[in-house]
Amino acid sequence: MTARVRVIGCGNPEAGDDAVGLLAVGLARRRLPPEVEVVQAGMSLRVLDLLEDVDAVVIADAVRAPSGGREPGAIVRAVGDPDGLPVELRGSFSSHGLGLAEAVGLAGVMGALPHVVFLGVEAGDLTAGHGLSPAVASALPALVDALVEEVAALAEAPA
Amino acid sequence: MTHRSVEVPVVARVEGEGALHVRIDDGQITRLELEIYEPPRFFESFLRGRHFSEVADIVPRICGICPVAYQMTAIHGLEHLFEVEVPERTYELRRILYCAEWLESHMLHVHLLAAPDFLGFDSAIEMAQKGFKPQVERGLRLKRVGNDLMAAIGGREIHPVSPMVGGFSRAATAKELRAFEGRLEDALAEILDVADFVAALEIPEFPRDAELVSMVNQTDYPMNDGDMGSTRGRTWTADTYEEVTEEIHVAHSTALHSVFADTRSPYFVGPLARYNLNEATVTPVARDAAARAGLATLPNLDPFASMGARVAETALSIEEALRLIRDYTPPDPPHVAVTPRAGSAAWTTEAPRGTLYHRYDVDDDGTILEAKIVPPTSQNLRHMERDLREYLPGVLDRSDEELTHAAEMVVRNYDPCISCATHFLRLDIERG
Repeated sequence: MTARVRVIGCGNPEAGDDAVGLLAVGLARRRLPPEVEVVQAGMSLRVLDLLEDVDAVVIADAVRAPSGGREPGAIVRAVGDPDGLPVELRGSFSSHGLGLAEAVGLAGVMGALPHVVFLGVEAGDLTAGHGLSPAVASALPALVDALVEEVAALAEAPA
Repeated sequence: MTHRSVEVPVVARVEGEGALHVRIDDGQITRLELEIYEPPRFFESFLRGRHFSEVADIVPRICGICPVAYQMTAIHGLEHLFEVEVPERTYELRRILYCAEWLESHMLHVHLLAAPDFLGFDSAIEMAQKGFKPQVERGLRLKRVGNDLMAAIGGREIHPVSPMVGGFSRAATAKELRAFEGRLEDALAEILDVADFVAALEIPEFPRDAELVSMVNQTDYPMNDGDMGSTRGRTWTADTYEEVTEEIHVAHSTALHSVFADTRSPYFVGPLARYNLNEATVTPVARDAAARAGLATLPNLDPFASMGARVAETALSIEEALRLIRDYTPPDPPHVAVTPRAGSAAWTTEAPRGTLYHRYDVDDDGTILEAKIVPPTSQNLRHMERDLREYLPGVLDRSDEELTHAAEMVVRNYDPCISCATHFLRLDIERG
């Protein structure tokens, strides 16, 4: 049996670069096998619920390095473990109220954590009403490719 | 004189993005500024020129936690202007949707956002790791009931998509809603445990004076419908909201601060205000939960009593949802015809975190000429600053870390929903 994989895009569609995760999963959808569930989770608190009933998730979201140590458009990859996501991803522009990193950590503590691959894009402009900034827009195709490749790798891995 | 500056990038437990700057000279707070950015301002301009029928799909995007409140306020306001009469069944289905949002939002706040503060943990993760896993599980379980009920009524999307001006594009079936009876009964059976859990928390006492504001409704605890009232006896309506209150600019923040227009004094909206002003219409289990969680005697103006009010309102939401679901028949047809007309549509509803005011100026075709949105968090901003100025002097001798924690606790207790704004609160303490 192949692994059940869910692809999740996070972000606020109306807040500049925060939309990048949503856009990426939308573009990746037609390149993914039909059995892979694709969810545009928006800015809701649903991520915790979306970690249930699957073997693996691939999450795409905008992030902002706390120290400003990354260039806008830079793609970072992280793998979740029972302690959540790496600390430099905390404060990511994600599920609001309960951050994405915290949601993954919480699922780990509660004992229901699937394999989590996180793909983040360093945000530049998060102004409401703006589209993607040029740096983040240029990173979008690479993010879509990365999503497709991650899902392919998960499908090949033994479940 | 040595200056010490501490910056604490805080966590995602406050919705949105904000910053708090505190400067202390010779043991006195000389500067205290809470900064918050406000995307609703963007939405106000974004809505201009749109057709009224689009509004219900646009405004829920303002907030990931309370999309229903934004949607309902706009819908009710426009229906009021267009003199649309919706059937009682539509009103009831909307009330169930509202109950679901309160349930979800309050249980998230009580168990996962606020409880760690009062238990001395950094996060819900630490709370679960260190002996409170059952309580975290309970919070997630109760929150999920609200989320799932919202999805059943609103459609399986990020934001509810079925509510519209005139009713629902598709009304949930009786079967779909009755499927929630068992889960709601289980939730109600747990709610007094939640009240006891809150009662046992080490919640500080902060009995300062304040003017609390909410909608008032003589028959149903206010969610979608009612006039305005305050704990000092003011009364007004949505139609006079912008005369009675005023939004003022302050130098340190892009957000506007709300005050009463006559006294220039701040006010405080939210569950505690609602409970104080509407105790007469509280449901039985909710009243019991409130008494157990510290709200036996009213008025109670202590902001930290908001925890008890949230538990009481959760019980009320479950009781109301159960009552309405048991008698539910879908509105048929699901929506009624709407004919736009020119005028000004003003309305308030009670979002989980307090009164939400909308006004839409509309032309004859139903095109939005101007939109005004005043969210509860922005109305509370000035009061948050005032509370911080009063609360922090009592803890100034503590370490920066403890001071930070105290400040966060005061802010977080308002359950600020600044999705409008922010994704984390950054705290600067300067000691001179």
